[in-house]
Amino acid sequence: MTLLDRKLLRDLRSLKSQIIAVSLVMACGLAMMIMTRSLIRSLETERARYYASQHFGDLFASLKRAPDSLADRIRAVPGVGAVETSIRMLVTLDIPGLAEPATGQINSLPDRRTPELNRPLLRAGRLLAPAARDEILVSEAFADAHHLLPGDTVAALLNGRKLDLRVVGIVLSPEFVFEAPPGSALPDNKTFGVFWMSAEALGQAFSLDGAFNTVSLTLSPGAASGPVIAAIDRLLTPYGGRGVYERADHPSNVRVDDEIRVLKGLSFGFPLVFLSVAAFMTNAVIGRQIALQREQIAILKAFGFPSSAIGMHFVKFACVIVLLGTLLGVTGGVLLGHKLVIMYHLFFRFPSLDFILARGALLAAVLASSVAALIGVLGAVRRVLRLAPADAMRPEPPANFRPALAERLGLARVFSVSLRMALRNLERKPWQAILTCVALALATGILVIPNSFRDGINHVLDFQWDVLQRQTVTVSLQEPGSPRALADFRALPGVVLAEPFRNVAVELINGTRSRRLGIRGLTADGTLQRVIDANQRQIPLPTNGLVLSRALADGLGLKIGDPLQVHALEGRRIKTTLVVAGLADDFAGVAAYMELDALNRLMREGDRISGASMTVSSGKWPEFLKAIKATPATAGVGIKASARASFRDTTAQSIGLIQTIYLVFATTVAFGIVYNSARISLSERTRELATLRVLGFSRRDVGAVLVSELVILAAVALPLGLLLGSALAAAILTTVNTETVRLPLVLTLSNYAFAVLVVTVATTVSAILACRKLNELDLVAVLKARD
Amino acid sequence: MPHEAHPDTTVFKVRGLSKIYGTGHAAVHALDGVDLDLNSHELVVLLGASGSGKSTLLNLLGGLDTPTAGEMIFRGWNLAGADESALTRYRRDVVGFVFQFYNLIPSLTARENVGLITEIARDPMDPAEALALVGLQDRMDHFPAQLSGGEQQRVAIARAIAKCPEVLLCDEPTGALDLRTGLTVLEVLQRINRELGTLTAVITHNAVIADMADRVLTLSDGRIQSQTTNASRRPVGELIW
Repeated sequence: MTLLDRKLLRDLRSLKSQIIAVSLVMACGLAMMIMTRSLIRSLETERARYYASQHFGDLFASLKRAPDSLADRIRAVPGVGAVETSIRMLVTLDIPGLAEPATGQINSLPDRRTPELNRPLLRAGRLLAPAARDEILVSEAFADAHHLLPGDTVAALLNGRKLDLRVVGIVLSPEFVFEAPPGSALPDNKTFGVFWMSAEALGQAFSLDGAFNTVSLTLSPGAASGPVIAAIDRLLTPYGGRGVYERADHPSNVRVDDEIRVLKGLSFGFPLVFLSVAAFMTNAVIGRQIALQREQIAILKAFGFPSSAIGMHFVKFACVIVLLGTLLGVTGGVLLGHKLVIMYHLFFRFPSLDFILARGALLAAVLASSVAALIGVLGAVRRVLRLAPADAMRPEPPANFRPALAERLGLARVFSVSLRMALRNLERKPWQAILTCVALALATGILVIPNSFRDGINHVLDFQWDVLQRQTVTVSLQEPGSPRALADFRALPGVVLAEPFRNVAVELINGTRSRRLGIRGLTADGTLQRVIDANQRQIPLPTNGLVLSRALADGLGLKIGDPLQVHALEGRRIKTTLVVAGLADDFAGVAAYMELDALNRLMREGDRISGASMTVSSGKWPEFLKAIKATPATAGVGIKASARASFRDTTAQSIGLIQTIYLVFATTVAFGIVYNSARISLSERTRELATLRVLGFSRRDVGAVLVSELVILAAVALPLGLLLGSALAAAILTTVNTETVRLPLVLTLSNYAFAVLVVTVATTVSAILACRKLNELDLVAVLKARD
Repeated sequence: MPHEAHPDTTVFKVRGLSKIYGTGHAAVHALDGVDLDLNSHELVVLLGASGSGKSTLLNLLGGLDTPTAGEMIFRGWNLAGADESALTRYRRDVVGFVFQFYNLIPSLTARENVGLITEIARDPMDPAEALALVGLQDRMDHFPAQLSGGEQQRVAIARAIAKCPEVLLCDEPTGALDLRTGLTVLEVLQRINRELGTLTAVITHNAVIADMADRVLTLSDGRIQSQTTNASRRPVGELIW
């Protein structure tokens, strides 16, 4: 070990707390980088492997009903590889231990062969016996939520007939990595599950034997999707085809894509900001060290040490920071990554989603932190190289000061002397002030983000369930029914109010833009399911014309009063032109609404309803549930309270973890930057502060002089941070908002107060720790020394 | 003002004052049983080689350090037993310091450097008045970096006297100055002592300065080697170098 290295070790020891502070900030950036890159890698790797092993399709479509023979015509389309057809039905389930009915989506599996596409992966038990009427496979998510095991039975209403179905196997499917009720933003594994059943048995139960209502296919190598989609759309249209879509639009796959997109954004932006702060801190620490060691450097140079060796000495200093930061960052990233992977199990069902460390990210982390530290150290070292030994032997000339801007503007009288000192110091080193301020603002900002999401989600939930959907329960029918069905619903025990609705699959067309969805027919002044405008006022549905979700109207390029073509995709496939009569402001999904009677007139099928929304008196709730489970012809039962509870649980868990991560990061940055600034300020002003002590200032007075700069910076940084956080939250929302969920930007006072409180506490504690160094001030020694 | 309240009386009564730095074999006896009385209105010069103990004595008198043994009575109050906060109060209310390297706050102007003291002192002078006393009435709004060494030291003196201290302690006040500037500073000190009656103790290496004092103490090995009382104080202008 050379003597310079020995000096390095001793210097490091005396600066250990500052080095730890810089390394921690660096580690936050690196941890985020490693965590996000590794999670992207984990998700992408596992998804690709899973899709390949289970033969996940490339294109998908649902339709009303088509004969099996159509499959051969689909296969004959140029560019089509494998084709698999199946039956998919929604049914009502009676699950042991669950008071309310659950909704199941039952999919058929071919009886005497392995399906060509979308193969379920067996996790427990066995696959279905051919043509077994009472056997089902259950998705693992639902099985876990209800502790279902092979051998258990589940009662289901299949086309009006109650059947006891025996669970023979627990499976996963590439089609349901994200398993949520159709159109829902978050999973609800308690009340929604996916099942598989023999095609023969399911076909017979729903009078669909020899027919199918969903199809999925792969493209042959090199085939373009466009022409294939067009050809298959043409084939399916006569059979009630609702449009072919690609894997990129597959609801389950979209959710994985969304998550990866968010991770990619974070993996770049977050580390960039944290590493910049770390670079600045490195520069400040090493720059100060060089200033303190001016004379030592001069002596080394005078003795003949080459400048390069002395420069290297300080570069090694930075290397220690990089080493420590990388070590902490990688450890933190891997630990956080493992935690988040466990959180992903709440949302994504993969056979084995394990944390895969992205080695590339490891390398990038080392590189990024090295670059950050080098940028930080370079300017300081350049000063060492330039320093002529004779110059360095002389003390630095006294620093030049001038009255601060605010004083020059005539405010001098208002300021106390210590405030003037603080302002002039800040103005003399503007970059140091700006960067400290930015770092503190950043710490404040990153606290605002997760809480604004939490508040946004709560707002949507409250809006969705208190303003839009005021029913207790929504029951839908297998097939559109007559008004008699409504009378039957009204006769169920405890029903206070029942309002009918009708869903019709349509294609909405405006010029070249089109969109397939369901028009929901509601009673004009319904009190349960309501259509609401931007001012939270109910829009009475007009007897002609459509009310569209604002997002849908924007997507189609429509405004109020514009005409649009409506092609029904079921029944008589009526084609007509309607006018946009209003715009609804909703946050989940997109919808088109019509007055129920007007929709029925349009369809020319007489009075039909698809189901009803109901309020049920709480006293009769158990009886109601019992009755509804036994009601034939129901396809699904949506209970608001359970959906709401499940939503809250899931978001609470995921937001809670993310809040914790952000909290740790923000605290680290606030703590690190303030501690470091205070220590450097203390070191730069030791003489000044000691003088004040000698002149009779108490320790507290001197501490106040030391921290008044930081107080000013924090006072500027906190409001800036709140602005920054709000802007970041808004920016993130615009990238993550999809049609499924559009989170509004909700910024509450309590969110802001929390951010300010955390940063203030971190700042205060670190300032107090730094001020404790004032006790070690050797008054006599300081006064004797030259500066 | 304090000096008017106690005309020509004993300000300090020092008995058996010792200061030992370190322990065991490494122990250094910086002061070794010093007995001394200092009176108001007096200008005392402390002479001695480096390591003789003169700075240690000054630091103890100034409440910057506590003795290992002995008594140090300031107007009936034994400073030897005072705690940190009492010493801070003592420094604030009683003592004015002047140092070799001026120790001005670089971010404050001359007026503000003096004003700093008047913020915490009990009955201070106006900063402008203090600066006029040292002849800097025209340089009040200059920052230290804009002042010469002598001017900076005069600001330091103005700062020290602005609180009208009973005791003015100066540690090598001309050590960093050239001859001519040094003389100006000494003149200021002499004038302050004469006009305000402040007990003034000046440490110096320069024996010539001794002629301006009422009393000259020579220290060696932590003891007072000799005490000389000058029959008359020589004006600074007449000092022979």
